[in-house]
Amino acid sequence: MKILTLAQKSLLNRKSTVLLTLLTIAVSVMLLLGVERIRTQAKASFANTISGTDLIVGARTGSTNLLLYSVFRIGHATHNVSWQSYESIKNHRTVKWSIPLSLGDSHKGFPVLGTTTDYFKHYQFGKKQHLDFAQGHAFEQPFDVVLGATIAKKLGYQLNDKIVVSHGAGNTSFHHHDEHPFTVVGILKATGTPLDKTLHLPLIAIDKMHGSSAQTPSHDHDHDHDHDHDHDHDHHNHDIDLIGEPKQITAFLLGLNSRIGVLSLQRSINTDANLTKNEALLAIIPGLTLRQLWEMLSMVEQVLLVISGFVVVSGLLGMLTSLLTSLNQRRRELAILRSLGARPWQIGMLLVSESVLLTATGCIIGVGLLYALQLATAAQLQSLSGLQLSLTWLTQHEMLLIAGVLISGLLVGLIPAWRAYKYSLSDGMSIRV
Amino acid sequence: MQNLKAIIVASLMAVMPFSSDAGPSKELFWDELIPKGHVQLEQQDAASHNENAQANWVQPDLDAPVVQELNGKTVSIPGFVVPLEGDDELITEFLLVPYFGACIHVPPPPPNQIVHVIIKDGVPIDSLYDAIVVTGELSTKGWSGEIAEVGYTMKGIGVAPFEG
Repeated sequence: MKILTLAQKSLLNRKSTVLLTLLTIAVSVMLLLGVERIRTQAKASFANTISGTDLIVGARTGSTNLLLYSVFRIGHATHNVSWQSYESIKNHRTVKWSIPLSLGDSHKGFPVLGTTTDYFKHYQFGKKQHLDFAQGHAFEQPFDVVLGATIAKKLGYQLNDKIVVSHGAGNTSFHHHDEHPFTVVGILKATGTPLDKTLHLPLIAIDKMHGSSAQTPSHDHDHDHDHDHDHDHDHHNHDIDLIGEPKQITAFLLGLNSRIGVLSLQRSINTDANLTKNEALLAIIPGLTLRQLWEMLSMVEQVLLVISGFVVVSGLLGMLTSLLTSLNQRRRELAILRSLGARPWQIGMLLVSESVLLTATGCIIGVGLLYALQLATAAQLQSLSGLQLSLTWLTQHEMLLIAGVLISGLLVGLIPAWRAYKYSLSDGMSIRV
Repeated sequence: MQNLKAIIVASLMAVMPFSSDAGPSKELFWDELIPKGHVQLEQQDAASHNENAQANWVQPDLDAPVVQELNGKTVSIPGFVVPLEGDDELITEFLLVPYFGACIHVPPPPPNQIVHVIIKDGVPIDSLYDAIVVTGELSTKGWSGEIAEVGYTMKGIGVAPFEG
């Protein structure tokens, strides 16, 4: 204990170098923990976004791509799915529920999703949790909109507010669909997923929005379809049509009666031209694709970890340098300690406790810096990358990392300690330089 | 001494019935999941890239029966994992299939060659390329679905790497 206070006082006597050393260690620890935190939390938030869905179906593309754009709103669809294929697959005997998704529009940079009320009934996230309304209810009229929690908070929208949706996915658009203001009828509870940043509209709204203002040549064409108006009117207890006659959607989610049938239906969608109306479609199992994504990314993850590990090592090497260089200047101090009765091993211990003190303080400052940085940048990080980092207490994994840093600090401290021990043995009380 | 050992083993099993090597569970192989006498398409035939067998190309033997006697039995089955549910570390729900790649290159196995495993607390699975052995209570009860497509479900209690 006495050695520790002595180490503390000696350190305080060399404030400027000690402060710099502390800073190096603190920054390196912050970096290590920060990288780890982003890595694990990004992974966890990805894994939490979808649950209970058996298959995701979209136009044929890479399975990762389909997963990313349909669920995480990252990237864009290369092609759409025709409504006929959707109907055909939806009526397959093994399908229990289906959720059509129509993406591509935006509101002030937030993605707009056209879907049906089944979305609120069947979509699950986290550990099979269903969506919940913080306020209001699902859409009931063609121009109703349901907001994710983040949007409502960020843009300050309340129930019954009127908003305008623009075409395309940019932050601003010069092509607003002004003719169709939407009424906010529901705000979802926060889920910690990309859903919080999504505006949900009935499918018919997306169709109408584009039908009347974009004046696409194919507009007349869609009246020719004899849909027989058989699409799911029974799902709604009232007569308002929320689906309309969409020609195409971006992707859809399927829930099956039995999960045993997942492989079989996936196979059918991927290969059976009868089922998909000759359209090239891709069905993926979200859990499997997510796993494959992890396996693909695990290399990058490890590289990141190794790099931040090396940053810590260089921080500790910095400490070693400053301890070793100061050692020569401190030979007089060590001699005085010797003359006061300190034994050589106690001199060694002094140096070790100095480095442990430095590392420990560095770790504490590093953790402090991490939280400060996280608090300061959380909002920006979320709007830039959609990544939601929660301010959690240190996890067991992070504790282990810190413990690793402390132990390395102790080991590094052994080197100057050995030198000091040797010096004090040979020097005795008089210094021969 | 023998008695003592038996008592220790028994008490250990009573204390931790959920450990991954939970005692004398019967090791099952995939052909034991096919009822005796039922002529099932050979796995290899089904799995071959036989283009002219168009029917096989989707999934062979859709209404393949299950072995009712296995209902409620605690067994161990080796196989590969197709993950369905879980978080970034643990998998809580997966399909156990007899050959790897039951998802892309070849038609999926018949329903009685797929086991739907649910493990409440989840298990970490490092690589989908490695075979594992799952131990759990097998159930042959059909699903809520109105038509056939029965199959095995298992309440998993443990997973171990496969050492063949």
